[in-house]
Amino acid sequence: MREIKPHSLGAFLLLGIVLAYALILIIAPLIAIIQGALAKGLEPILDTLSDPNVRHALEITFYMAAGATLLNTVFGVIIAWVLERQQFHGRRFLNWLVDIPFVFSPVIGGYTLIVLFGREGLIDSPFPIVFALPGILLAKTFVSLPFVPREVAPVLRSLPISSEEAAYTLGANRWTTFRRIVLPGIWVGVVYGVVLTLARALGEFGAVAVVGGGVEGVTETATMFVHRALLDRNREGAYTIALLLGILAILLLLIMTWLQRRMNLYRERTAHVHTTE
Amino acid sequence: MSIQLNNISKRYSRDFGLENLSLTVEQGELFVLLGASGSGKSTILRLIAGLLEVDSGQILLNDRDVTRLPPQKRDTGFVFQNYSLFAHLTVAQNIEFGLKIRKTERQERQRRIDELLKMIGLQGYRDRLPHQLSGGQQQRVALARALAPNPSVLLLDEPFGALDVKIRAQLRQNLRQIQQEYHVTTILVTHDQEEAFELADRIGVIDHGELLEIGTPTELYRRPRQHFTATFLGTANLLPARRNGTQVYVNETTIPALPNTEHLSGQPVDVLFRPEAVELALSPDDLHGYVLGAGVIEQIAFAGVFERVSVRLKEHNLQALISYEQATAFDLQPGKLVFVGVKDYHLLPQAVT
Repeated sequence: MREIKPHSLGAFLLLGIVLAYALILIIAPLIAIIQGALAKGLEPILDTLSDPNVRHALEITFYMAAGATLLNTVFGVIIAWVLERQQFHGRRFLNWLVDIPFVFSPVIGGYTLIVLFGREGLIDSPFPIVFALPGILLAKTFVSLPFVPREVAPVLRSLPISSEEAAYTLGANRWTTFRRIVLPGIWVGVVYGVVLTLARALGEFGAVAVVGGGVEGVTETATMFVHRALLDRNREGAYTIALLLGILAILLLLIMTWLQRRMNLYRERTAHVHTTE
Repeated sequence: MSIQLNNISKRYSRDFGLENLSLTVEQGELFVLLGASGSGKSTILRLIAGLLEVDSGQILLNDRDVTRLPPQKRDTGFVFQNYSLFAHLTVAQNIEFGLKIRKTERQERQRRIDELLKMIGLQGYRDRLPHQLSGGQQQRVALARALAPNPSVLLLDEPFGALDVKIRAQLRQNLRQIQQEYHVTTILVTHDQEEAFELADRIGVIDHGELLEIGTPTELYRRPRQHFTATFLGTANLLPARRNGTQVYVNETTIPALPNTEHLSGQPVDVLFRPEAVELALSPDDLHGYVLGAGVIEQIAFAGVFERVSVRLKEHNLQALISYEQATAFDLQPGKLVFVGVKDYHLLPQAVT
C-alpha cells in the first residue's frame, strides 16, 4: 500500500479537511447528544428510563429488530446460497432485486406495506398488520434485508466449490456439508451481516413511522419516541434515548471492526491453503 | 470389472461434449486418462463420481449401476487439483471426515487415521491446519482423506498439477505405492505424458471428448494406431510412405513391412519412428538398422545424457537423440552430411488432411 506522509502543505490540507468534516458531521453530534442527555443531571435520565411508555418503546424496538434480524439471517443466507451456488434463469434479476431496499426510501417501503395490508389493501390479512406490531416487524425486515446476502455472497464465492464436492463424495449430504464445511467458512460474513442488519433494524424510523403510526405505548418505537419527545420539548428524554441508541450502534461498530480483522485473517489463511506450495 | 462406462454421453457446452464413450477399468488397475485441457477428461471423472450427471448411458462401479445415484452413494474417493482440504479442520479431522459420516466407531477411526498418516508420511502433522502445510503435504492429506472410507474406486483429477517438478516426482512414487498396497481401482487424469508413463497400467488418450486409443504405455508409445497418440506421446518422426506387398516404399528406398499391417496395404501410410530409434553415421555401412538416405545436420542441442540432433532428409525434418560419445566421435556439426538409419519403426494410416 502506498502511504503519503503529511509533509507537504497539500497533504496537511487534505488531512485537515477530513478531520473537519468528521468533526462537524460525526463528532459534534455525538458530543451534543451526550451533553444534551446530561444537561440537567441524571434525574431526567432515570425518569425517562422508568417511563412505561419509553420502556415499551424500547422493548418493541429490540424485539422487532431481533425478529427482523432472525428472519433476514435465515433468508439472507439462503438467498446468498442460491445466488452463488445455483444456476438458473433470472439469477441476475434476483441479484438486482435484493438491493431494492437499499435504494428505496424507507418511507416508500412503509407506504407499500400500507398499500398491501392496509384497510383497503390488496391483501386481506386475518390479523392487523398496519398500525400493529407485525407491520413494524415487516418494515424493519424490509429495510434491513440486503445486508446478510450482500455480506455472505462474496465470502461464499471465495470458498472453493471443490471442498463441498469433496464432502459429497465422502458421503455427506447437502445439509451436513453446509453445516460442517460451508458454515465454518462463511460464519464471519454471516455475523458481519447480522450486526449490520441489527443496527439498521434498531435505528429505522421512516418505514416504521409510516406503517406503525407511532401510537404511544403501542406501536411507538425508540426512534419514534425520540422524534415525539423533541416535538414535546422533552429534550432530556429525547437525548437519553438517542444516547442509548448511539451507544448500541457504537458497540455494534466495534464488533464489526473486530470481525473484519477476523475475516481478513481467515481470507489470508484460506488463500494460503489454495495457492501455495 | 471395477469401473465400466457404457456408451455415456454428456453435452457440457453447445459444441462440446462426450459422445457414446465406453471404457472398462479392471479391479486394482491404475488407469490414466491423458489429454489436453478441455479434452473432456475431467468431465469423465466427475461423471463417475456423480458430481455431474450423464445425459445417457450407464455407469457401473463394481457391477453396481450407479448411473442415477448421487455422489454420496457412489463410494468413490476424489482428489482435486487444488487439494480442497477443509480449511478449518486439522489434518486428522480432514481424514476422519468420511469415517464420521459413515458412523465408523471412534477407535476404528483413530486406528485408520494413524494408518493413513503413516502411509503418507505425515505422522507428526495430526493437529496441523491445512494452511500450515506445503502444497505437497496438503495433497497427500487429500489422498488420505479420499482413501479413509475405503472407497471402491479412487479418482484423481490432475492431482499434481499445482506442484513443482521435484515434489511431483516424489508424490507419484508415493501414490503408486499406496495404490498398489490398497489395490484400489484408480483413474488419474493428467495432461502430462511423463506422469502417465510413470504411473499407468494402461493409458486412455482422449481428445475433443473422444477416447481415441487405449493401451499400455509401451504399446501407445511404440505401436500407436492414431496420429494424435503418436504425436501427443513424445516426439514423433513421421515420413509419408506406401505399403505394397511386403515392402514399404519410403524416401526412395524400401524397408520391410511389419507383420500385422496388412490392412494398410496399398494405402498411403506414415512411417513412425522415435528420436531414440534414429541412427546417424558417416557411411551407410556403419548403420545397423534400415538406411533411409543421406541428410544434412541442421541443429544440435545439448539434452542431458543425449544430444538432440535435427536432421534434414530431403524436405523432411527429423529429430534424433544421439549419445554424446557418438556425437563427438563423428564430430557432428551443423551442415555436415550424414546417413540416416532407423532401428525401430511403426506404420500408421496417413492422417486425413
